[in-house]
Amino acid sequence: MQERRIYLDHSATTPVDRRVAEAMARAVVQVFGNPSSVHGYGQQARAAVDRARREVAALINARPNEIIFTSGGTEANNLAIRGVCETSIAQGQHIVTSAIEHPSVRGVCAALEQRGWEVTRLPVYENGIVRVEDVREAIRADTVLVTVMLANNEIGTIQPIAEIGALVRERRAAGQRHLFLHTDAVQAAGRMALNVEELGCDLLTTSAHKLYAPKGVGALYVRRGVRLTGQNIGGHQERERRAGTENVPGIVAFGEAAKLAREELHERTTHDSSLRDSFEQKVIELIPEVVMNGDRKQRLLHLSNISFRYIEGEGLLINLDLQGVAVSTGSACSSGTLEPSPVIRALGVTDEIARGSIRFSFGKDNTDSDVDYAVEVLVQAVERLRTLSPLNRPLAVS
Amino acid sequence: MSYSAAFKDHLAHPRNAGELPEASVVVEENNPVCGDRLRLSLVVRDERIEAARYLAYGCPPTLVCGSVLTELITGKMISEVRDLTRADLLEAVGGLPSRKHHAAALAIETLNAAVSQLP
Repeated sequence: MQERRIYLDHSATTPVDRRVAEAMARAVVQVFGNPSSVHGYGQQARAAVDRARREVAALINARPNEIIFTSGGTEANNLAIRGVCETSIAQGQHIVTSAIEHPSVRGVCAALEQRGWEVTRLPVYENGIVRVEDVREAIRADTVLVTVMLANNEIGTIQPIAEIGALVRERRAAGQRHLFLHTDAVQAAGRMALNVEELGCDLLTTSAHKLYAPKGVGALYVRRGVRLTGQNIGGHQERERRAGTENVPGIVAFGEAAKLAREELHERTTHDSSLRDSFEQKVIELIPEVVMNGDRKQRLLHLSNISFRYIEGEGLLINLDLQGVAVSTGSACSSGTLEPSPVIRALGVTDEIARGSIRFSFGKDNTDSDVDYAVEVLVQAVERLRTLSPLNRPLAVS
Repeated sequence: MSYSAAFKDHLAHPRNAGELPEASVVVEENNPVCGDRLRLSLVVRDERIEAARYLAYGCPPTLVCGSVLTELITGKMISEVRDLTRADLLEAVGGLPSRKHHAAALAIETLNAAVSQLP
């Protein structure tokens, strides 16, 4: 029985860093006050939340009072999009987004569309990247929000947010004062340097559990001066924008994780990219008929998305899992209907390529030996599944 | 993922994968909605299935149902395999989540198509 277990799914979530877990454990035991309480226990909790807020702000070069803690990336995306749209409804009901957003952006845009909003979904072409000229053409006088992710969760392609930010500022300077730019940076945070001033975004989403912290905490950066309608009502927390007693231990963990991510960014990205590049080189050498999905240069350094021809992603995923290697596929077959990954489909590839895509995402605790083992079992699994596949063998007509 | 030990075993060690050059019948059925495919080759002599091979493309239950199906039918009389149901196949794979029952349905459909096309 295979004992070895290798986690290559860091874009889904990351293991909690020991230092983060220790900070969180101390907060659970020692900092139990309600940050809204006036007494010493409450003030101790408030101070812990504020320290974390400074660290999360520092990770993206924001001011601490521009950070709103949420329950995660999905809530932050909901708050950003719904919050801006509700505030700006008198100025227009048009949103510009991309075809490859995370479901928490895609879903909110679709829900608004059902309520009468118009949504323009920009193509990403075969490299998986939005074109700035398309954004320029898509923005109308009644556009109130552009929401384009910073880095894609399946293929890792990095979108030209700074250029889009410059465009949005230009339109605002020309009089379109209620046009805002939101970017979902959940995948990018901790994996590339982030600076909200350079990006020119007005709202930016991050999530703790992609940064070696636990699930259940996220943050929305809201540039000072941007008006946002809160979606959680019933308390004064987070400057009236997100009611509810703060998740103090989770926020403390997020703060510690953000600090470590900032301090260790270079070391982590160098490590991850070295493993990823070595992995890809070996795959290309050893496995014929593979398709690398998304731009090969303008992408996150820890992630590789590969389609293996003639086989289906879920079958490969389970085969790898049986050998102890954990990866992801964007396609899912359920109740006899197949949802090929909308992201891979947006690249203009065939259903077969979209169904055969697998995401390998490396992390700071992976080793060269993990890469070797993953490649070894991958080669075997692909060979086994291709032996089974009818796709590369035409059916003889009798 | 709560697949049975039998399921995992068939996935890691597929039985009867491939094709039969001397096949009495070869059929390929697909699920038009999800794109799963199953190809079944049978050698039938005197109403008995002497050999069965399969090729499959799709989610793991489709791959496993092909493997299990060939084990269930090899050596059986045609009259016996006509009575094989989706439930029999599901039992043999150790159960499947309901959202994956279509894999067993495709396997039975492919078997029925093969049997109906026998010379």
